[in-house]
Amino acid sequence: MSETQAPVLELANVSKTYGRRGGGVRAVRGVSLSVAAGEVYGFLGPNGAGKSTTIRMMLGLIAPTGGEVRLFGEDLRRNPAVLKRVGSLVDGGAFYPFLSGRRNLEVVARTHGGAHEPDRIDALLDQVGLAKDGGRKVKGYSTGMRQRLGVAAALLHDPDIVILDEPVNGLDVAGIQEMRDLIRGLAADHGKTVFLSSHLLHEVQQVCDRVAIISKGEVVREARIAELLSGEGGLRVEAAPLDVAEGALTARWAVERDGDAFIVRATRDEAPEVARRLVGAGANLFGLAAEQRNLEDVFLSITQPETDDA
Amino acid sequence: MLDALAAERLKLTRHKATWFLVWLYPILFLAFYLIAVALAVGHVDPPARPPTAEGWIAQTAVIWKLPGQSIGRMLIAAYVAVVFAGEYGWNTWKLIIPHRSRASLVAAKFGTIVALFLVALALTAGISLLFTWIEGLARGRAVPVGVTAGALLQAHGREALAGLAPFLFTLASISLAAVLTRSMVAALVIGVVIAILEKLFVQLGPYLSPYAPGFVWSLYHGLPGYHLANLASWITEGAAHKSAFPDGRVVALGWTTSLAVAAAWTGGLAGATFAAFRRQDIN
Repeated sequence: MSETQAPVLELANVSKTYGRRGGGVRAVRGVSLSVAAGEVYGFLGPNGAGKSTTIRMMLGLIAPTGGEVRLFGEDLRRNPAVLKRVGSLVDGGAFYPFLSGRRNLEVVARTHGGAHEPDRIDALLDQVGLAKDGGRKVKGYSTGMRQRLGVAAALLHDPDIVILDEPVNGLDVAGIQEMRDLIRGLAADHGKTVFLSSHLLHEVQQVCDRVAIISKGEVVREARIAELLSGEGGLRVEAAPLDVAEGALTARWAVERDGDAFIVRATRDEAPEVARRLVGAGANLFGLAAEQRNLEDVFLSITQPETDDA
Repeated sequence: MLDALAAERLKLTRHKATWFLVWLYPILFLAFYLIAVALAVGHVDPPARPPTAEGWIAQTAVIWKLPGQSIGRMLIAAYVAVVFAGEYGWNTWKLIIPHRSRASLVAAKFGTIVALFLVALALTAGISLLFTWIEGLARGRAVPVGVTAGALLQAHGREALAGLAPFLFTLASISLAAVLTRSMVAALVIGVVIAILEKLFVQLGPYLSPYAPGFVWSLYHGLPGYHLANLASWITEGAAHKSAFPDGRVVALGWTTSLAVAAAWTGGLAGATFAAFRRQDIN
């Protein structure tokens, strides 16, 4: 996605304090971020970091104490009608337990003043894998089924941006796979912008273009996934004898042992020189590759002091 | 707006508690009249004196008195509490995109509550009319002379109009209570307390006046209780509801004054419901 495109969603110094002055709790502190059209944007943070509060402010469910939420260039506070272009799933979707999934979608569609034709609703139920269960009352749905119904509700009025808060919560492995495909499809096949909050870092790593990491109410890092994973990486070297190989490289780069291999703090461009030095020193080179850090490593390194305070 | 109304209708007609609180009246009346007809056919009870046309018509229109009675007010309060506070209990307010839809959502709830309640009471009145006639037939009595379509319409219309003000006041006050407390139980308790205190104050206010004459006099004129009773009196009796105070003063206001006060209370509370919901943080 081009960085020059106008942002679909912008948060400028947004903050939220619950309660009165003095005894108030600052849940979100000056969060700023920007999401471009067609992007799949991940929003990560430990429990209690302020993710859900931030999302609720994006949706106008709660009013920010300070700052500005802009959707499609419009200030949300001044022009709440812009939310017509937003679909959302918050807290796994909340539905009327005494109505069927199909009837719930009809209620949501009618409340939003959107399309509520049976064909449209059936197509969405089919898209989220609930075609057979659409006639059942929601009180009999599993958590995963409610999540999927929530995604269908978010897509009812064909929004331009879909904001999903923990959409894979409660899903089994197959459900997570389906949801991942669905989210990818929203961006790739339907041109939607997706804002995804999740604590499943592996999922975020697989589907998102960019992420923001929030901790204690503040965005502590915003970057493209590739940049985040490679930023502090190195080269993983498998060579023998280990001490010979290590000795050949320590003069130039920092080297860390990693089991039977070691990590050399060198860039990818320096890989040929690493190979030459190893061979020159008489070491046998068995493997040389860019170290692949995963998002979990990055996330933990940034938010390590954070505790699960829910 | 029509879609919002349709969505509300869909919810309210499929939720058991709401369904019960709406259709309770026709079901109860139907059961009562079926028993009455069965007794009449079996001649279990002694034949009553034939009713007058006025009494016959009044019997068919008795359901419209419900909103003016304390027990009726409590039942209406329960209905409104479920409809409004239920959304907090089910966590479903966040299904809507706030601000844009909030006003129409509250308006749709008001509209649907009024429409369903009026349909239920009209149906109950229809059942009363039909079975009063059938019961008379079973007892071998003709419909009293003087019972005409015009007389029936006039009596039913008058009683329905008399019940409208207390119904709308209950709707407005309990909707606000539900939005502020976000609890069905709390809203219902507030409804019960209002229904009891309001009636009590209309009856006991004059007896309390010696302890604080000016204060009680002002409350009597400012609170909605007397005015709701007075409007009903003007509509059904054609005269003011008179409340005599121990110091010799009598409260007997014109219907326009009472209409203005009742409308101000009802409109104010309904407006506060819209405003409170629009400003609410939904977590």
